[in-house]
Amino acid sequence: MSAGTQPERRLQVLAAEEDVVVTHEDIDRAVDRARVSAARSRSTLRSRAWLLWLLIGPGILVMLGENDGPSMLSYAATGARFGIGFFLPFVILTFGMAVVVQEMTVRLGAATHRGHAELIFERFGPFWGWFSMIDLGIGNFLTLITEFIAIRAGLGFFGVPPWAAILVALAVLYSALLSHRYWTWERVTLAAAAFNLIFIPVALMAHPHWGGVGHALVTWKPLPPFGRDTVLIVLSDIGATVTPWMLFFQQSATVDKGMTTKDIRFGRIDTLLGAALAAAAALGTILATAVLFGHISAETFEAAQFAQALQPIIGRFGASLFALGMVEAGIVASITISTSSAYAFGEVAQRPHSLNLPVNQGKSFYTVLGLCAAAAAGIVLIPGLPLVFVVLVVNVVAVLAMPPALVFLYLLVNDKEIMGGVKSPGWMNVLAAAVVVVLTAAGMLYGISVVAPNALAWLGRL
Amino acid sequence: MSHEEHVSDAEAGFVLSTLEHDQLVAAKREPVPRRQLKGGELALAWALRLYLVFMLLVVFWQAWLAVK
Repeated sequence: MSAGTQPERRLQVLAAEEDVVVTHEDIDRAVDRARVSAARSRSTLRSRAWLLWLLIGPGILVMLGENDGPSMLSYAATGARFGIGFFLPFVILTFGMAVVVQEMTVRLGAATHRGHAELIFERFGPFWGWFSMIDLGIGNFLTLITEFIAIRAGLGFFGVPPWAAILVALAVLYSALLSHRYWTWERVTLAAAAFNLIFIPVALMAHPHWGGVGHALVTWKPLPPFGRDTVLIVLSDIGATVTPWMLFFQQSATVDKGMTTKDIRFGRIDTLLGAALAAAAALGTILATAVLFGHISAETFEAAQFAQALQPIIGRFGASLFALGMVEAGIVASITISTSSAYAFGEVAQRPHSLNLPVNQGKSFYTVLGLCAAAAAGIVLIPGLPLVFVVLVVNVVAVLAMPPALVFLYLLVNDKEIMGGVKSPGWMNVLAAAVVVVLTAAGMLYGISVVAPNALAWLGRL
Repeated sequence: MSHEEHVSDAEAGFVLSTLEHDQLVAAKREPVPRRQLKGGELALAWALRLYLVFMLLVVFWQAWLAVK
C-alpha cells in the first residue's frame, strides 16, 4: 500500500521521534480495541462474558465456514453410505486436528499483526510465497464453485431456478460487505453461520438409534470395509475440516479484528467453540442421513437429492430444513472463502486489505472479493459443464494441499524472531507434526487406492 | 506535526493511544525480515511440494475417469 492512497494524517510522535501515519482503517480498529480494553479493565463475570463476545468471531466463522457445501455433502454421503459407526468419532478427531492447526494461526496473527500470505512472502521469499498463493487460489476457486453448486441444488429443492438461486447468494454476499466495518461484517456473517446448526434438529427428526451412537463414539465400531470408497470418504471428511483457506482466513481475520497477544486465550476459546459447533452440525448431518443407509446409493448425490431422499422419512419440513442448511453452508462459505482470497491478494500485492476499508480506499480488495464470487457463480450457470468433477475433487485437493501449507505454518509459529514469547511449545509441535503425518498418510493411501488398488486390498488384509 | 485531510488530531491521538504500534497500517508497510530455509526445512518443503504435484495428477486422472 503506498502512502497517500487513502486519507491519512502524518503525526510526529515526539516521544518516539518517528513519523506515524494514521488511517481510517486504524481508527475503526482502534474503536473496536477500545471496547475490548474497557471490558478487560473490569473483572465482573458480566464484563468477562462481554469480553468473550467482543473477541469471538474468526474461530467460529472459520469452523462453521468450513462446514460448507462440499463438506456437508461429504457428511451426508458418509451417513448414507456407512451409517452410524466409525465415522462419528473420526469426524470429531478431524475437528481436533482443525483446532490444533487453527490455534497456531491465532497466535501467529496476534503476535505479528500480519496475514499468512504476507508472512510467507516476506519471511521466506516470493518463490515459496507464490507456491502457497497458487495452492490457495486454485483451492479457493474450486471450492467457491462447489458452494454455488450447493446453493443452486439447495434452493432447487424449493423450485427456485438456478439463475435466481445464484443471484440470491451473490446479493447476500455483497450485502454483508455494505457496512465497510469488520465488526459489522463479522456479526452479520456469524448470524448467518448460526443457521449451520439447522442440521441438528434434522438429525433429531430422523430419530437416530442413540444406543448405536454411544457405542460408535466409544468403540469406533462398526468399522467400514477397507477399500477405495472408504479411503475416498476418509479423505473427503478430513478435507471437510482441515483446508488451506482456513489458515489464511483466520490469521487475516485475527489481524483485521485487531487481536493482540493478550487476546490469544480468547482466540483459543473462539476456535474451540467454533469446532464444537461445527462438529455438532457435522455429526447431525451424518445422523440425519444414516437413516438412508442401505436404502440408496449416495455416490453422486447432490444436496437436493439428499433432501428428497429424506423427505419420506423426516417429512417435507425436515427435508426443507436440510435443503436450507445446504444453502446456508454454501452462502457462508462463499463469503468467508472469497474474503480469504481478497485478504491474501491484498497482502501479496501490498494493496489495502481490510473489511474496515471504505470502497474508494479498498477498490482492489473489494474487486477481488466480488470477482472471485461472481466468476465462480457464473461458472455454475454455464450449461453442460462437468461440475460433478469439481465436487468430487475439491475436498481431496484440500487435504493434499495441507501438508505443504502446514510446513510453513509450523516454521512461522516456531520463529522466535517474529513470535517472541508466544512461539509454539514442544507439545504443540508434536501435535502439529502428528497432523502433518496423518494428512500425508491419508493422501498416500488415497494415491495407492487409485494407482495400485491391489496393493490397497493387500493392505486391507494385514 | 503535519496536517492532512479527514483525520482529526483527536482521532489520531486516540488511535496511537489504543493500538499497538505494529498494528498501525503504516507499520505494516515495513517488511518482515527475510530468513533462508535451512537444509532440512528446504528438503521437507520440496518433498511435500513434489508430493502435492504428483497427488494432484492422480486426483485429476481419477476424477476424469469418474466423469467419463
